[in-house]
Amino acid sequence: MTDRTFTPSQYSARRRSLLIAAGATLAAPLAAHAQAGGEDIVIGGSIPMTGVFAFAGIGIDAGMKDYVKMVNDAGGIKGRKIRYVPEDTGYKVDVSVAAFKKITSQNKVNLYYGDSTGFAKTINPELDRNGNILMAGASFATELNDPKKYPHQFLVGPDYTEMFGILLNHIAKEKPGAKVAFVYSDSEFGRDPIDESEALAKKLGLSVPVKIMTPAGSVDVSTEVIKLRRAAPDYTIFHGYILAPIPEFITQGKQQGMKSKWMGTFWTMDSSTVMKMGEAGDGFMGVMPYRYYYDTEKAPMLEKIRALHADYQSTAYIQGFLAAMLFVESAKRTLDAGKPLTGDNLKTALNSIKDFDTGGLIGVPITISGNSIPVGRVYRADMKAQKMVPASDWIKL
Amino acid sequence: MDWLTLFEIGLTGLASGGLYALAALAFVMVYKATRVVNLAIGEMLMAGAYLFFTFAAMFALPLWLAIPAAVLAAGVLGGVIERTMIRPLLGEPPISVFMVTIGLGSVLVGLVEVIWSADQRRLPDFLPSDPIMVGEAFLAPKVFWGAVIAAVFIAAVLLVFRFWRGGVALRATAGDQAAAYSVGINVPRVFSLSWVVAAMIAAVSGIVVGSIGGISSAMGVFGLSVLVVVIVGGLDSVLGALVAGLLIGLIEALAGFYLGGEYKLLATFIVLVAVLMLRPYGLFGTHEIERL
Amino acid sequence: MRIGTLKESYLADAALFDSRTQKAWLLVLAAALVLFPFFAGSYWLYLACLVAINVASASGLNILTGYTGLVSLGQAAFMGLGAYTVAVLEQRLGTPFLLNLLAGGVVAMLGGLVVGIPSLRVKGLYLAIVTIAASFIAHFLFANFQLTGGTAGLAVPPAQFFGVLLDTSFKLYWVIVPVTVLMLVGSANLFRTRIGRAFIAIRDRDISAEVLGIPLLRTKLLSFGLSSFYAGVAGGLWAYFFRVVTPESFPLSMSIFFLAAIIVGGMGTQLGAVLGAIFMTLVPEVLKLIVDVLPGGASLTVFLSPVRTIVFGLLIIGFLVFEPQGLAEVWRRIRRFFHLWPFRT
Repeated sequence: MTDRTFTPSQYSARRRSLLIAAGATLAAPLAAHAQAGGEDIVIGGSIPMTGVFAFAGIGIDAGMKDYVKMVNDAGGIKGRKIRYVPEDTGYKVDVSVAAFKKITSQNKVNLYYGDSTGFAKTINPELDRNGNILMAGASFATELNDPKKYPHQFLVGPDYTEMFGILLNHIAKEKPGAKVAFVYSDSEFGRDPIDESEALAKKLGLSVPVKIMTPAGSVDVSTEVIKLRRAAPDYTIFHGYILAPIPEFITQGKQQGMKSKWMGTFWTMDSSTVMKMGEAGDGFMGVMPYRYYYDTEKAPMLEKIRALHADYQSTAYIQGFLAAMLFVESAKRTLDAGKPLTGDNLKTALNSIKDFDTGGLIGVPITISGNSIPVGRVYRADMKAQKMVPASDWIKL
Repeated sequence: MDWLTLFEIGLTGLASGGLYALAALAFVMVYKATRVVNLAIGEMLMAGAYLFFTFAAMFALPLWLAIPAAVLAAGVLGGVIERTMIRPLLGEPPISVFMVTIGLGSVLVGLVEVIWSADQRRLPDFLPSDPIMVGEAFLAPKVFWGAVIAAVFIAAVLLVFRFWRGGVALRATAGDQAAAYSVGINVPRVFSLSWVVAAMIAAVSGIVVGSIGGISSAMGVFGLSVLVVVIVGGLDSVLGALVAGLLIGLIEALAGFYLGGEYKLLATFIVLVAVLMLRPYGLFGTHEIERL
Repeated sequence: MRIGTLKESYLADAALFDSRTQKAWLLVLAAALVLFPFFAGSYWLYLACLVAINVASASGLNILTGYTGLVSLGQAAFMGLGAYTVAVLEQRLGTPFLLNLLAGGVVAMLGGLVVGIPSLRVKGLYLAIVTIAASFIAHFLFANFQLTGGTAGLAVPPAQFFGVLLDTSFKLYWVIVPVTVLMLVGSANLFRTRIGRAFIAIRDRDISAEVLGIPLLRTKLLSFGLSSFYAGVAGGLWAYFFRVVTPESFPLSMSIFFLAAIIVGGMGTQLGAVLGAIFMTLVPEVLKLIVDVLPGGASLTVFLSPVRTIVFGLLIIGFLVFEPQGLAEVWRRIRRFFHLWPFRT
């Protein structure tokens, strides 16, 4: 058995290289910290990149990434770069919360994007305790539109009740005194705007002959369609769904001779979702606070997006893009005022946004006085052109 | 009392009950032969629907080719499941196999999400779409044709169990495995056969259900209502699956219409508990005689 | 190497921990638990609290399913009862949190007694289905009553301990972990008593147990009640930890998670419930770590959630096919190895 003993020079050479390596690894993070300008502004995200909301999550993620890159390429905010740190949540609240805790423990986070109403509500006390974070999310729940209860959160668009309001205003103009049926899903998402919207409808002189709630995950809606048919509404608003069971409702309703016009809210209104409805979706209307990717009206931001991506980008992408834009704007205004980046200061900066031009993503300049942006436009599906075309002006509530 | 409405609702309820009965048939098939409670029945339904989607929409095969292809593929899947997960657990306490099927359900859902993503999709229409009118009452065509398909299959299975040698072998294995072995029945083959056939029936059911309500990775919750149907009807009774399916479909429709959508599931579960208290083995199930 | 454990009295025989090495290791564990929060980051503390809550609930389910043999898929519903009780009491009455936890446990126990009533008529898997029904009825109640805030749920103000708000994972650790330890000691002790042995008798052969003189309905109900008490307390802890309770917080899949945890851990052993809960809670974290470490990990995160679902299912199937007695058996084998070393098993 050969005896490999280390000669003193070999041994010390080994030891030397080991020491140098150890020193290098210790020094590396120190070196990394020495950047010009100041520390990064971190946008954390609990993004549903898998699960039922994956189509939205992937779009939101891409939109935020693109806007952050745009701003960083232009020099960042006062020389400080923006870092976007996302985590996938599969649209589950406990995973979202875990992601939040992980990201905030590893980075100094000032801006956060949440994936659901449940998460937004659960994390609220933690947000208030943290005090350094302004949060937006994919949710448009009416409950979150309460600056007193949710002082560090905002919605990137109108809340669900405001969406209903936009639709109802449009209906009241088109057909005063019409009968409007509500069809919604048995979930928090679905139930959120129903009661307030019913009251609003009555105020606008419209009547709500029936409110139909479908159990979550229900397959066969024939009995509900029969109920709907008996109410014979002029308009039917669907809420709380993405796609199913709306096409079934429309197909069966049309077969049974219903003359109702069919409408939906934000999450149904992405172009690709509506196009999946096939024949049933022709003429389907709904409220969308943003322009679609292919809108031909003048919109410099849309043109930039089109330059970045030749293929269709969903409304979720535009939501992420816009959220990042509002984040950056709040951070910029806070730093311009010489204030530190805390939750309260960022929210004040957000609320100072008046007549702000989003570059055409929203068709009119926006003002954020509370927690939401109550602006939207009614679009209609044109199946032949496979596009959503505007059916009204921009309605500001 | 609006009789026409009641009739309409009743008709719709019965027809959607037929869908339940078809899926319940797949469940009963497995239980009759192997005494396994297959909690993954909803997910097997989903797998069948997604296979059909792949063949019909992604490979763009014509319908008369896509449907048999999907059903056969589902049958193969059923055979694989039986060999890898159920066979090794022969003789283990029933709770173990029950949990294995729960695990199987998770695996199927995850696989579907990985391969096809979790988006909701629609299946290409293949059922005739003319509205069905019974007198003045309207019946949605998809539901009607779904019920017709279900009736055809149930009748076929009832006949098979009665008259075909394989069907008799199945019943023999269900009654007493040791005795079936000694008579010369190839029990492992019967097991595989039952799972393969059950998977194929579940695939047909999945295609019908999917064409009505669209497909998504959350489709498996349909299995919960099917579970209620088989418990009410009796875990090992084909006739029970049919009767209970119709009954549950009717009750759901009535509850949904007169009480409201949120009461549908509640009503079915209350019926379940009530039936179990009166007849603990279901309406038509065989009473298990426990021996010390 | 341990040759044998000699007992000279019945009391010593019934002891939970018999050898000096075991007791020493227990002290080490206790010290580790006490020192852990001072050295761990906030994310690890969050995980530790979550694991503790799951351990508490899993040990409750173990009493019912592992020791009494009554398969239950309603654990999440009982946790929900406990959580909502705590939420309502804390929000409206502001009573001390220990009292709330107890109240949560009691309410859940009452629910468990109600669900257990069919257990005389209905056996085996039929009973499991009844528990699923109970789960849905509970969900319906949570979602449709004003008291429980409907589908929006309730926000829970933080627990208070002599004026100190328990709102961080660090502070809650000192409530959650001791309560969990207490409950574990309680359930371990339960199976040294007559009642515990009655449970085991029912699991093995309930007709024989009746012949022996064990009142079936009463004992089964007791089992249901105890296990749902545990679930209720765990649910109350959950409410204080997450600070929001909604009907969607306690879905059927959570019950399935707990059932999987005790199966993977090993049904019918205390250690099994603990190991199973820890394992199942930490597996998603490990998966995330693996994905982070793999090259090309960015594109793989899209698959993280479905892969988690697949891994969950495969774990259940794998353990049932290859190691039906779970992690506890693996642990025992390792221990045997060390006990008998340098000899082999």
